[in-house]
Amino acid sequence: MIDLFIHAALLTTTPILLAAIGGFVNRVGGLVNLGLESMMLAGALVAVQVSSATGSAALATAAAAAVGALVGLAMTLIVTRLNANEIIVGLGFTVAVAGLARFILKSVYGVWGIYNPPDVAMLPRLDIPIVDAIPVLGAVVSQLDPLTWLAWALVPAVAFALSNTRFGLRLRATGAAEATVRSVGLAPLTIRDGSTVFAGALSGLAGAHLSIGIVGLFSEGITGGRGFIALAAFYFGRTSAFRTALGALLFGAFDAAQIRLQGRGVPAEIVQTLPYIIVIVVLSGLGLADRRAARQRA
Amino acid sequence: MTERVGVAVRIGARNLTRRFGGVLANDCVDFSVAPRTIHAVVGGNGAGKSTLMRILQGVDAPDEGTVILDDQPVRLAGPWDAFARGVGMVHQEFMLAPPLSLLENLILAREPVTFGGLIDRRQAEGEAHRVAALAGVTVDWRLKAADAPIPMRQMLEILRLLYRGADVLILDEPTSVLAPSQINDLLALMRKLKAEGRTIVFISHKLEEVLNVADAITVMRSGRVVATTTAAQTSVGELARAMVGEAVDAAQVKPRRRPSGAPLFSARGLVGADAMGFKRLGPVDLDVFSGEIVGIAGVGGNGQDELVACASGLASPVAGTIAVGGRDLTGSPTSRFRAAGVGYVSADRGEEGLCLTAAIRDNFVAGREREPAFSHFGLLRRGAIDAEAQRALMRLSVRFGALSDPAASLSGGNQQRLALARELDREPKLLVAAQPTRGVDIAGTTFIHRLIAAFRDRGGAVLLVSESLDEILALSDRIVCLYRGRLVGEIGRAEAGVERVGRMMLGQETAA
Amino acid sequence: MSARMFDGVRRVAGAAAPFALAVVIGGVILAATGYEPVEVYRLMIEEAFGGEGRIAATLSEATPLLLTGLAAAIAFRAGVFNVGAEGCFYLGGIVAAFAGYKLPDWPGALIVPFALASASIVGGAWLVAPGLLRARLGVDEVVTTLMLNFIAIDLTTWLVNGPLLARGSANSATPFITPAAELPRVLPGGTLNLGFVLSLALVIAYGFWSRFAVGGVRTRLVGLNPRFSRAVGIELPRVFLGVMVASGAIGGLAGGIHALGLVHRFVAGFSPGYGFTGIAIALLARNSATGVTIASVLFGALSSAGANIQLFSNVPIEIVEILKGAVMIFAVAQFGFGSMKRGSPP
Repeated sequence: MIDLFIHAALLTTTPILLAAIGGFVNRVGGLVNLGLESMMLAGALVAVQVSSATGSAALATAAAAAVGALVGLAMTLIVTRLNANEIIVGLGFTVAVAGLARFILKSVYGVWGIYNPPDVAMLPRLDIPIVDAIPVLGAVVSQLDPLTWLAWALVPAVAFALSNTRFGLRLRATGAAEATVRSVGLAPLTIRDGSTVFAGALSGLAGAHLSIGIVGLFSEGITGGRGFIALAAFYFGRTSAFRTALGALLFGAFDAAQIRLQGRGVPAEIVQTLPYIIVIVVLSGLGLADRRAARQRA
Repeated sequence: MTERVGVAVRIGARNLTRRFGGVLANDCVDFSVAPRTIHAVVGGNGAGKSTLMRILQGVDAPDEGTVILDDQPVRLAGPWDAFARGVGMVHQEFMLAPPLSLLENLILAREPVTFGGLIDRRQAEGEAHRVAALAGVTVDWRLKAADAPIPMRQMLEILRLLYRGADVLILDEPTSVLAPSQINDLLALMRKLKAEGRTIVFISHKLEEVLNVADAITVMRSGRVVATTTAAQTSVGELARAMVGEAVDAAQVKPRRRPSGAPLFSARGLVGADAMGFKRLGPVDLDVFSGEIVGIAGVGGNGQDELVACASGLASPVAGTIAVGGRDLTGSPTSRFRAAGVGYVSADRGEEGLCLTAAIRDNFVAGREREPAFSHFGLLRRGAIDAEAQRALMRLSVRFGALSDPAASLSGGNQQRLALARELDREPKLLVAAQPTRGVDIAGTTFIHRLIAAFRDRGGAVLLVSESLDEILALSDRIVCLYRGRLVGEIGRAEAGVERVGRMMLGQETAA
Repeated sequence: MSARMFDGVRRVAGAAAPFALAVVIGGVILAATGYEPVEVYRLMIEEAFGGEGRIAATLSEATPLLLTGLAAAIAFRAGVFNVGAEGCFYLGGIVAAFAGYKLPDWPGALIVPFALASASIVGGAWLVAPGLLRARLGVDEVVTTLMLNFIAIDLTTWLVNGPLLARGSANSATPFITPAAELPRVLPGGTLNLGFVLSLALVIAYGFWSRFAVGGVRTRLVGLNPRFSRAVGIELPRVFLGVMVASGAIGGLAGGIHALGLVHRFVAGFSPGYGFTGIAIALLARNSATGVTIASVLFGALSSAGANIQLFSNVPIEIVEILKGAVMIFAVAQFGFGSMKRGSPP
């Protein structure tokens, strides 16, 4: 019972985690990305299209990452080069891409709301020999798709890359002190753009996981606000990739629990509010701590 | 480092001009620094030093004239270009990324990497120890920049320049954040670097240090170079006079005897901190009586901003008390200070003294819109406001188009008159005037001085904080000097002179 | 005088540019998917403004936008970046609908003011917390108000799926309000109702307030220059909290009017993003009452035209969403020399 729940929670966590890592890296670079939802949606649609057309889940996944990156690039250029407010641009992308996706469904495929082409190749589910046989653990880790493994592998990888690579160092510096980065002769805006494109690619993968990892079709509400849950996760995680992953796992578990609790007296919608409430609580706590620190210094 | 044989000017400027709007920040500046020397640039706030340095470092570009490097005119494409030519700068506000470690800050933009962009920690640490040894310091490289003490952060900026192979180091007021013993360390380091063949451009307010360490000295005032000399040929007094200019006799306002009675403004044990929470002022005791102008003299950065913020109610003191008219206002919001009769002329006219993008009318009425004369049941009495604004602005001979024009449409001097009109029309009991004539021409300055004197003659108390010695000497009935956050010495105007107050504000004479 | 005229021209051009760009992008998308952009746009204008009935439909669509735009504008003018009107809209809607069907015995003259007042109060109260957090602790209001939107939407969805669900209703909706609580129609046959008049009146009142009231001057000064405002004795925390609550109350009222005037109940998915469109409207309008009115009507026209062009020309209604999103994006872009930064390596 519990192993099944953990397995389900891992699967619901994957899209949130992928987008959250992207958003986290983006925020480290100094841009709060409210457009994750749009990049996810674009990835989900393109994954289904490519998967159906080519029969290759790998190609579909790559295409989803590419289109997510492309949306990320468009967004970051408007923010960094046209000096636009990132919050509004992010919300605007959410509105525009949602409209565009539905527009394409109607005008290109002649369908309303749901696009369910034939021959969609799904992401494979991986079995791990030996470990599969172990009770509980086996049930938890078997039958997971490659994107889930990738998402979890990315957590330590991103944490390591941020602290130990040249790009990681420059990205952290850009987010913390743009003027400093410029003064030592680097181009902070370009560095920041890189992080947004990365966030877009990961969000595209998150979308692919939803469409060709779980259901095998595209529906207009497929992302269901997960881009904003991812935002909640990286606000929860603040400066740590691991804490961000913990937030994503927590919120993914809420998601899985909410599906299972349906019809058992615990309203799903109330469970869904938890990530957002947690973010507000975390921000308030940080505000209080800041004020206390300033008082102590004086 | 390449040997520069026969080079006369390692870094400099020829006929360099830079304008911001109508303001000449640099006006035909000629400047040359010989290789392997320490060259000091001194001048008050707004003298144009920072602009010049920004241009030498490629952060800004001149409108006319050129930068000179190794006797050749060059066009710098950006700070990276200056770096490539061996020129680096330590900024007044430190250019460090606070959450990064000192080592990471050191290597930023020139990281030693192995395959895959992986940072080679061992090589980085080796390099770090090498430059630290070069400067003769020990550094805890794993410390976050945010947690490092100020002198350490500054040292890191210098080490970063050495790490990147800079042989021209521009240090922008490096000693303003240091304690005396740390200053001596820094000066020793500068001599050491010079002995190794590096060239140092040293910006400072503090003239003893300049005389102590510099080979050559350039004095700037109002965007121009007014003197170039050497340490051997000059003295503190001479430099101070060149910095502040000659006293203008015509603008003198008659001093008055200190009135009797209880002080209107009274601060006791006042301690003030800056926005970052660092103590900059105090503890100080200060009284200002009705009918007198108390001038606070001193070089900028000695606690003036904090004194002004506390006296005007913009910041709460860290310790101590403030009373106005016998009422304790410690910790009250600005609105209570104003209600108690405190008026405030900000040193930062464009950002705090006025709202440049708002209409002249709104600037005039701001903060008073709730007074019964100007509003009725929450609705503005536009007629009354306009009439009063017209009257007040006429009285101060402000030249303006229409009351609905933005304040930005006024000239600098008229902007300041508008700010004064607002504050004086309220008929305050105490006027806190910070740099009231900064950026105002001579005629305007005289006019503003007369206004302030007239306010005093009507029984008002004035706390005048100014970096201009002329202004202090022309207006104050009583002069107190602020030096390193403390009030040092107090003299009446009759005993005051440029020499004496100049020495006091440099901390050389403490008692009256 | 000519300088002021030039300034006016520049402001109009600045507000029109995002629309123009959005229209171009929409045109490209239309052309790429095999439609005739010019023809579609011509049809849209006709469907939005061609005849009394169509204009009424446009104004009806503009009704909620007038108020959500106003809710955003009143906060933005004081420099408070409240994006929480959407949540207030949902809460106001459900509160008004609840009052509308729970009090069948009350006369309309009582029930309508009561329902709308309750909607405003709940909307205003909803934003007290982020207002206080910003005013006292400096917590970024963008994230808190954004999060509160999702909470409000989930909360109201739960309510109409459970406690407030109409008996026998298949979809998530409350019972219909009593006829007495419905806002009267302004024109027979259409959906344009008293709500439009109320909303427009509020926007006009805002216009007067912003120019002639003490609060109008104060909020504008705080938005233009908080440091200056503090120095002249305006208490910033009070202004921040005040505009936040006012903004929430207007958002709640918008939802209440939408429930009583058009939907006549509360349903899940009550707002197709009126609160977010309101943000774009306020930005385009530079927070002015006239601007809010014009932009609301334009966005209303998009919506009313969208529904009909889908019917008559087979162009998906979503073209409207694309245009809205694009306007939002470009409304905050600064065209000019933003990318010409000195000092970056080649």
